[in-house]
Amino acid sequence: MAQQTRVKELQFDVSGMTCGSCVQRVEKTLLKQPGVLECRVNLATGEATVRLAEEAAPFEALRDAVRARGYDLAIHRDRPDDPDRREERAWLRRVWVAWPLSAVVMLLSTVAMDADWARVTAFVLATPVQFWAGWPFLVGAARRARRLSADMDTLIALGTLTAYGYSVWALFAGEDLYFDTAALIVSFLLLGKYLETRARGRASEAMKRLLELGAKEAHVVRGGREFLMLVDQVKVGDLVRVRPGEKIPTDGVVEEGGSTVDESMLTGESVPVEKVAGDQVTGATVNLDGTLLVRTTRIGADTALAQIVKLVSEAQSNKAPIQRLADRIAGVFVPIVIGIAAVTALAWFVATGDARDAIVPAIAVLIIACPCAMGLATPAAVMVGTGRGAQLGVLIRGGEVLEQSRRIDIVVFDKTGTLTEGRMQLVDVVGEEGALARAAAAEASSEHPIARAVVDGAAERGVAALTASGFRAVSGLGVRASVEGEGVVVGRRSFLEREGCEVPDWLAQDTSRIEAEGKTVFLVGWGDKARAALAVADTLKQNSGETVRTLRAMGVEVVMITGDNRSTAEAIGREAGIDRVLAEVLPEQKVGEVRRLQEEGNVVAMVGDGINDGPALAQADLGIAIGTGADVAIEASDLTLMSGDPRGVVTAIQLSRRTYRTIVQNLFWAFGYNVALIPLAAAGLLNPILAGAAMAFSSVSVVSNSLRLRRFPN
Amino acid sequence: MQIDPVCGMEVDPGNAAGSYEYKGTTYYFCSTGCLEDFREDPESYLR
Repeated sequence: MAQQTRVKELQFDVSGMTCGSCVQRVEKTLLKQPGVLECRVNLATGEATVRLAEEAAPFEALRDAVRARGYDLAIHRDRPDDPDRREERAWLRRVWVAWPLSAVVMLLSTVAMDADWARVTAFVLATPVQFWAGWPFLVGAARRARRLSADMDTLIALGTLTAYGYSVWALFAGEDLYFDTAALIVSFLLLGKYLETRARGRASEAMKRLLELGAKEAHVVRGGREFLMLVDQVKVGDLVRVRPGEKIPTDGVVEEGGSTVDESMLTGESVPVEKVAGDQVTGATVNLDGTLLVRTTRIGADTALAQIVKLVSEAQSNKAPIQRLADRIAGVFVPIVIGIAAVTALAWFVATGDARDAIVPAIAVLIIACPCAMGLATPAAVMVGTGRGAQLGVLIRGGEVLEQSRRIDIVVFDKTGTLTEGRMQLVDVVGEEGALARAAAAEASSEHPIARAVVDGAAERGVAALTASGFRAVSGLGVRASVEGEGVVVGRRSFLEREGCEVPDWLAQDTSRIEAEGKTVFLVGWGDKARAALAVADTLKQNSGETVRTLRAMGVEVVMITGDNRSTAEAIGREAGIDRVLAEVLPEQKVGEVRRLQEEGNVVAMVGDGINDGPALAQADLGIAIGTGADVAIEASDLTLMSGDPRGVVTAIQLSRRTYRTIVQNLFWAFGYNVALIPLAAAGLLNPILAGAAMAFSSVSVVSNSLRLRRFPN
Repeated sequence: MQIDPVCGMEVDPGNAAGSYEYKGTTYYFCSTGCLEDFREDPESYLR
């Protein structure tokens, strides 16, 4: 029996590496150390991933070995330059300080309310919560106040500062303390902020991931020798060799060799593309089966990938910021509360003529008006909503998206790959018996998408296989082969005529009829005569029609956008039940079309799967990517559907609407209890127990209401 | 600009990590690692 050894994987930072040879040197050095099983060094990131057996050499030994070769090794540290992570950690720190202190303050206020030592301790503990942990809210409120406006921060600052300030005075005056109210409000809001940053779509990370789709290294041929180097080192005009399975490092033209290239990450098109000398290739696409020698034409920021990343980030930054619902409510609420407090003070002063009797109830109004569950209302709903979405195959990138998507009134579908299967299928066979079997035999050895559609179509229809020989393809026109000893021609009408086949009138008529339906038609002929027509088309997905109908029923207009010619596009649109079809739209015009729809006053969702949809997805108010499509589209979108089923769009929009409704309900519960207590406060009847009860009830209501989302769609 | 014969990087002689004279030609290197590899077996990098 093999001895079971425990293996651990460690990350190191390697410094001093400049080239591909350095990588190999470091790898070799590490692999020579006892217990090192596997080692991968990345030049671009300067990181080494090492798999170690349990009894491996200690870190110091590895470091010394690497140092002996002129490099340095350190335990890997997370890059501190990720602003989102840093923000997340900063909130977490504040949460960790605020919660324990607040808990103690609350405990003291409930069990030892009258003891002097407890009152002083509460003051001491509440102070850092108010001014250190709660500092961001105070800063935010001050910034708002300078512009004479108010948001959630204003409400927090107003409520907590009043509660804190009053309590400091009350500490000496021997009145009730509200330190626990101030501290808990800050704590709850910090928790909400932390949850929000954690769940937030990381725009900057998305951009980074987009660029990481590109190759990191290139095999450059200089002076007849081949060097492994960083992509940054490659110059325009360099020759790079790309072996099977490697990513093409940068944009260029094939100089030598031939291969098929998987461009799906760019186009969403799953059929690999044939590349021979003279063809353009694009960086980040994957070379599949042959070796290519590529003369580079564009590098760095000029490459197609970098251009798209730029377009996406432009579209993202041009989006108008969404004012959060909670902030909008707070903006209206704050002046009203201040008004009520002022009226309260005035009324009491008129009634009693005593300044102190007038100010205390007014302060109570300000204290009770700040709902501590307000900060949880949005993040709690968003967290549960996104979690439920993930279970249903809908990945949501952040709360703003959900708040926006309820107003969506147009859904734009990029046709290929979202509404349709994205590949050709045999749809019609017209004419003589045996034509399909002959065509399938003649096309059997071809990799062309249309040929594959014919072969697959024949197999699906149970047509008996024939054998072909003497296969000859004329690029773009058709093929000629000998099937069971008889010459068969398959291709466009012009090709059959050139090959000496006569095309009868009935067949010509059928051909134009089928073409008018937006399908691609070609003819099959033998014995000097065209005898049948075959039609292929990109067919609708099974659930596309249902999806369109459901969206309509939800009051959403459906638009289809495509680069296809008008008749093809309209035929598909009719079949799917879509009447607004934008046809003959070039890839780079899609973003403009989305913008135009937005300028007409619509809130637009865009569904796409190709890299060329990236900018349009980012521009749309809600970008929905099909998870089976291009990585770039996924990165540029707000929402990703894990399956290719278009019904996911309906689920996504319904879930967004439900989540939004939950946020609204949460805000109602958060504000409700506190608003109900305002009259009591104004009447001078508020006490810390009432204030604490309002906090408890509203928090529980908000959380339990959010949890109901777990049962969506019920 | 000179080319590091070991790894193919372009190296500015003024900034090179090292240089080595071999059969009358001075070669420049991007890193001391490349220089050492070259010194061990120059011929294998000059074919």
